[in-house]
Amino acid sequence: MDLARRFDADPPATASPDAKRPQTATRKHRRTRIALAFIAPFGTLFALVFIVPILYAAYLSLFQQKLIGGDTFVGFANYGKLFRDPQFWDGVGRVFRFTLIQVPIMLIFAMALALALDGMRVHGAKFMRMTIFLPYAVPAIVSTLMWGFLLGVKYGLFGSLNDALGTDLDPFAPGTTLISIGLMVTWAFTGFNMLIFYAALKAVPRELYEAAAIDGANEFQVVRAIKVPALRGSLVVTTIFSIIGTFQMFNEPQILPSMVAGSGVTTFYTPNLYAYHLAFTGSQQGYAAALALVMAAITIAVAYAVQIRGLRNASDQ
Amino acid sequence: MGLSRKVRLLSAVLVPMLALAACSGGGGGSSDGDAAGGGGEEQVKITVWSWDGTVAQAVPGFEAANPNIKVEVVNAGSSQDEYQALDNAIQAGSGVPDLVMFEYFAVPYFAIPGKLADLGEFGVENFKQDYVEAAWNDVTVNGKVYALPSDYGPSAMFYNAATLKKAGMNKPPATWDEYYEAAKKVRALGDDHYIAQDTGDLFFLLSLIWQAGGRPFKVDGNKVHIDFTDAGTTKAVSFWQKMLDEDLVNTKITGWSDDWNRALNDGTLATQTMGGWLTSTLPERAPQAAGDFRVALMPQWQQGEKVGAANGGSSFGIPAAAEHKEAAFKFLEHFTHGGGLASRVAAGAFVPNMSVLESEAFQSKANEYFGDQKVGAVLAEASEIVGSGWQYPPFFEWARSIYGDIASPFYTTGKGSLAEILEQWRQRCIQYGNEQGFEVD
Repeated sequence: MDLARRFDADPPATASPDAKRPQTATRKHRRTRIALAFIAPFGTLFALVFIVPILYAAYLSLFQQKLIGGDTFVGFANYGKLFRDPQFWDGVGRVFRFTLIQVPIMLIFAMALALALDGMRVHGAKFMRMTIFLPYAVPAIVSTLMWGFLLGVKYGLFGSLNDALGTDLDPFAPGTTLISIGLMVTWAFTGFNMLIFYAALKAVPRELYEAAAIDGANEFQVVRAIKVPALRGSLVVTTIFSIIGTFQMFNEPQILPSMVAGSGVTTFYTPNLYAYHLAFTGSQQGYAAALALVMAAITIAVAYAVQIRGLRNASDQ
Repeated sequence: MGLSRKVRLLSAVLVPMLALAACSGGGGGSSDGDAAGGGGEEQVKITVWSWDGTVAQAVPGFEAANPNIKVEVVNAGSSQDEYQALDNAIQAGSGVPDLVMFEYFAVPYFAIPGKLADLGEFGVENFKQDYVEAAWNDVTVNGKVYALPSDYGPSAMFYNAATLKKAGMNKPPATWDEYYEAAKKVRALGDDHYIAQDTGDLFFLLSLIWQAGGRPFKVDGNKVHIDFTDAGTTKAVSFWQKMLDEDLVNTKITGWSDDWNRALNDGTLATQTMGGWLTSTLPERAPQAAGDFRVALMPQWQQGEKVGAANGGSSFGIPAAAEHKEAAFKFLEHFTHGGGLASRVAAGAFVPNMSVLESEAFQSKANEYFGDQKVGAVLAEASEIVGSGWQYPPFFEWARSIYGDIASPFYTTGKGSLAEILEQWRQRCIQYGNEQGFEVD
């Protein structure tokens, strides 16, 4: 999961105090210049690191690379091919299913932990906070290796468990690999999401709790009436982070096949993995660029839908 | 599947480098370098892309003999990563290196679109005699030589003599029929004992086909013919199918995984039929089995025959866009054929040069890990009996990467067959190859 992406809410439309004052032409001119100077550093960086790469990818996606004959302009043929490519849709379907199941479980888990820590019902809250957050600091490559050893049936911990219980469960069979990946991802990112929830809870004014205490509310009523509503905003944020993260799943399915046999992970297991494979072993950079753009569009659409829905619900309150 | 061949080759070749003494001795031998290196020439610097650590061993001797040529050896990544970087550099028209390392199967990928210089103009035909025939064949595309072989992976059978002995055998199986019987005996030792593992190892299957005389890929210019139904292929495929069907092969352990290391250490995997590069990898992977392993030729299809196959290996070529082709060839000749060869061999490179393979020093050296067996002699023989005429399609890099997708359902569920997998693979190759501008059928 990649948190380099910022979740930017719309900037507040603040009214300028100068708005109604009459202005001379030169003043206005100067103001524009100053504004431009302030925007320029951000604008330049934004264009260089966001706009240019996207435009370049869009440009690339109109070409087909051939071993014989080099690059040819093919218009939108790559997109047409992509929409008929069962391997692409297989990957998209997989990340959708994954998102639908893993994200709610992880967020409920994170929320419960945040509530527990905030309720001061746990001893050593600081230590707990740190430990739950710690997996987030472990690189995905390392955590995949680690879980690979833990869940391996041949020599791993899970193998010993099978021996002890007389069972024959395989966490890395084609049907179960996705569940195991879900476990790894949940382990890694619950702490991060918990921290966001926890911060939101810390921001609740203490007066509300005092008022609740005066009204004679018990702990559960406080959670239901104060804390859970306070979490709504951050729930939208964490959901969007998580969706973007799972749609970009790459490290886990990239590493697993070299660790365990028959995990069912293919070269098109997730769209990201497929794009990587197309670009770097198939030399089909144009096709990979088209895939990346379509996948970005799908991700943005889903994230946007969640945001709109989430904010509408939040404003219902 | 797994960490690909490149890593195996890499580890085969990156043996501790202590060969400075050998190096100075070898440097004096490059007399042809002196002849060409006249005093009036300009100073040139050549860039070499290599993930073979032994190449650097040959540089000091070369630079001493050719004071006007400076050599910079760069690791631009292994295998795929390097090919991608080279493609990018060629496309960009700048930063193209003068000498590049290629696995054998990648040579046609670069040679056919004209990205590699034809080495014929340097009189490379004169070196042909020094190379194992099959290795020379690997660097020849449509009758022209585009690279010089730098290391080799003749298939051999590494066997755990202690495990075989426990199963009642005092010598390794010499034919595949004996191998089948041996597999049953090993299997009888208990649950975890198998004669080998396979979770869809394409290079192993191809070496089996290669040895049986199958030549599934026929490349002629832009035309590629793929056929997995010839007699040799059918024989090899149905044999291995039988091994898998009768649960004589472990399909739960992937080569190069941690599980594999453990099984090699505890002796539950009795044999490994792989490239000769396993010689230097095995002691690292299975230190606890020291003294148990031995090397033999691949089991034969016919009693008394001696035919082999190759599994991996690499070569160096000069990009068509390289700036200093003359100087690059001089160095190429030095470390793959001339005076620099000895220093690389001393550093652990396994080279397909007859002058090395047939030398007394190479043949008679006892290897402690293999119970003082003279491993070099076996591998030299394995190199010389490699069946000729094998070809890889130019898009093999892509083809091998998708093989796992197709093979894995069979290995996990047992539904289908190897022959069906190969047919599906063929269909995908045909589709991709034609999209890439080849004529494939």
